Amino acid sequence: MQFFEILTPMTILLCSLGVFIGIVMGAIPGMTATMAIAIFLPITYALDMIESIGLLIGLYVGGISGGLVPAVLINIPGTPSSLTTTFDGYPMTQKGEGEKALKVGVTASVFGGFFSLAVLYFFAPMLSTFAIDFSSVEMFLIILFAMTIIASISKGSLLGGIFSGLLGILISLIGTFTINNETRLIPPGFESELIYGFTLLPVLIGLFAVGQLLEEAEKGMKASAHQKIKLQKGDTKSKFSFRLFKNQKVNVVRSSLLGTFIGMLPGVGGSAASITAYSQAKNFSKNPKELGKGSPEGVVASESANNGLIGGALVPMLSLGIPGDSTTAILIAAFLLQGIQVGPLFISSNPDLWSGMVFALIVANIAMFFMMFLTVKYFAKIVFIPKYLIFPIIIVACVIGSYAINNGIMFDVWTLLLFGFLGYIFPKLGIQIPSFLIGFILGAEAEKNFIDTLQGSGGDLSVFFTNGPVAIVLWILILGSIIFSVADYRKGKKEEATYAS
Amino acid sequence: MKKFMFIMLVAFLSAVLVACESGSGETTGDETEAIGQEEEAAVDVDRVRMLIGSTATGGDTYQIADALSRHAEDVMETNMQVDAVGSLRAFDELGKAEDDGSTIMFFHDMSYLGVEYGSFGEEAELENWTIGPIVATNPGNAFLTNADAPYDTMVESAEWLSENPDETITVAVESGGVSQIGFDGFYLWVEEEFGTDVSDRIHAYVTGSQEDKNQALWDGNADIIHGSIGANEQYTQDEVEDRIKMKFLGITAGERMEEIEIPTFAEQGVTVNGDEFIFDKEFFLLMPEDIDESYVQAVDNAVEQVVEDPSYEEDLVTNRYTVNHMSAAEAEEYLLDKRDNFRYIIENAPNLDDIAR
Repeated sequence: MQFFEILTPMTILLCSLGVFIGIVMGAIPGMTATMAIAIFLPITYALDMIESIGLLIGLYVGGISGGLVPAVLINIPGTPSSLTTTFDGYPMTQKGEGEKALKVGVTASVFGGFFSLAVLYFFAPMLSTFAIDFSSVEMFLIILFAMTIIASISKGSLLGGIFSGLLGILISLIGTFTINNETRLIPPGFESELIYGFTLLPVLIGLFAVGQLLEEAEKGMKASAHQKIKLQKGDTKSKFSFRLFKNQKVNVVRSSLLGTFIGMLPGVGGSAASITAYSQAKNFSKNPKELGKGSPEGVVASESANNGLIGGALVPMLSLGIPGDSTTAILIAAFLLQGIQVGPLFISSNPDLWSGMVFALIVANIAMFFMMFLTVKYFAKIVFIPKYLIFPIIIVACVIGSYAINNGIMFDVWTLLLFGFLGYIFPKLGIQIPSFLIGFILGAEAEKNFIDTLQGSGGDLSVFFTNGPVAIVLWILILGSIIFSVADYRKGKKEEATYAS
Repeated sequence: MKKFMFIMLVAFLSAVLVACESGSGETTGDETEAIGQEEEAAVDVDRVRMLIGSTATGGDTYQIADALSRHAEDVMETNMQVDAVGSLRAFDELGKAEDDGSTIMFFHDMSYLGVEYGSFGEEAELENWTIGPIVATNPGNAFLTNADAPYDTMVESAEWLSENPDETITVAVESGGVSQIGFDGFYLWVEEEFGTDVSDRIHAYVTGSQEDKNQALWDGNADIIHGSIGANEQYTQDEVEDRIKMKFLGITAGERMEEIEIPTFAEQGVTVNGDEFIFDKEFFLLMPEDIDESYVQAVDNAVEQVVEDPSYEEDLVTNRYTVNHMSAAEAEEYLLDKRDNFRYIIENAPNLDDIAR
């Protein structure tokens, strides 16, 4: 059978090992799939090409999936693309449904993984020019579309949410403007530390982990309600069942499709995939009010999209030689180190390698599912560890992760602590952390595509409306999403007022 | 009994020592020389961090640094780790690094071009480092266009622009990089040859990575892009779809690459200030300014052995790079001269901000 001819037992073993290491690294706040692959890249030189691809694909799938665990259990997104998993995953844990949330996430991840793999396998050659039909105009509009989630996740004050998002965008622009290598917005005295701006990971985990820790310290580190209740309370509602996905078919397919599609667009970062999927799950949900309060629907959307991203990001890589995200950029390096060009002729000139990649993705997704699904109940016990024991461990992991993210930059640790402090005071000032982060994550990408568009059009802004039918459709989606979110927000306010009276 | 065992053990160890000594006395002259050379190439640090001036692990800098470090670490009896931190950070960290050689940098001509263009501060000047040996060249530094463009060479593109006064040409380049020097050379030649009427219709599209430049060509945001044979040759093959097919317009190197028929700028007649425009993209090491002379000597000796190793050459050729060796002393003189030669172009070139669309 071709499968066993291409994938040797050694490759399967390396792939599974990659998944395991990836899950562990993805689960540690501050460590990412990109980091895992970068660490193992030099080792692959000594391996056979298919073996090294097996290992790297395993790390990729495991790294993306592992981020789910801390997002659900301790409200810290292990990777940027699991940010939206915290929105419902952690509230589920607080309700005593941590194990269920993890199992929902793992199952959604494997759906997303296989969906995008099918798209990759059947359509990669056909989609080769699809990605480049999306110019910087459309990419900017897609990022704008992802940003509209700010309107739908704003809690308390819509204006406060929008302000937080804009503040996030502003902070993301600190650093060097790459077009002319000029620095901007850097406070005096920090010219060398902030030359590339703030690093995303320390900002992300600082706002979530350290901020949360300070808030808990303020309360006195008493055991939370969810630490006293059992993870599986015995009633069927809090137990996981595959039947739960019966009503989620549309959500799973839509989110996997969005993840795969956004993954295919090289100028749009991976985090936009789960953000857009979550936003649309909320817009199309029968109970939009439940999202954000511990609804499995939100976990399904976020996790199927971020695993859907994997196959999507491989499409432009394998058909054009353009990496879909930062992780695939390192995968390309693995091929180049062995003298193999990844580009338009890759699939036709390397049929064995192409099949090997697809088979490795199948093995990695299966290995990820079993490794995570079967160990969830052990992972889930993390929430029972008393806070005075778990918080120091989290802080140490966050500091190590921040220090390691750029290979030993102390300023990244200061960034972690600074944003940790901001994470503590932001809510007190009415600044909403999720909206701030979405602005921060998407701001720089939005700017790059905006500038690229203006360079191409000679400064003519009308190109955003006249670039073709795709741009028009995207504008309609953006407006629709904003109108829907605002209407939903107003309805909620009205209901609250009626309830209060 | 114990005493007897002790005496036997001492006798045995003495015999082993004597045997070893007599064995080493039988070393041939060649072996002694080899050991001597290896000793000179060994360094005192357990770990060498090789910073590179690029964040891309798929680019030429990473690939050549990876090949060099893999071959040099054994010779230097240390562990080498390539660290893709990007140019500004690499200079910053090299400036703060200890003088023991545990941190060195690997980069190419952008290290001084960036200073001349103002992308890097004066503190990154070549004079502030110890220049190490040159180890390789990427002879494929090239410019490309869409396969159906109405011109086949850089010179023809200028002629086409001259014949079509309503047309413009936009070239995608990276600011302060090797691509800008090639673009500036072409721009100044067009200005000298056809006048400002034509050169004023050449615009720059400033962007970063190779993927961004490719995308700019496919989007129609640029008509010509900077690229390289290694990275872009695949898009020029017959089997590639028309929508993404490219063709080479010329390379900046002094000589053509074997088996690939792409004319050099010089062959096409591109001159600047009366001299042929030739730019070879060369890769070399930079070390902290006050590093010990013995370390530089060890690196020189190690590189000398590495460039003789056929497997190093094989690694470079796989990705269409060539071995090019100059010792640290030769490299210093050569690179300072090279920088002076290109100053004329940089001083007379247009500001990218002024000619960006």
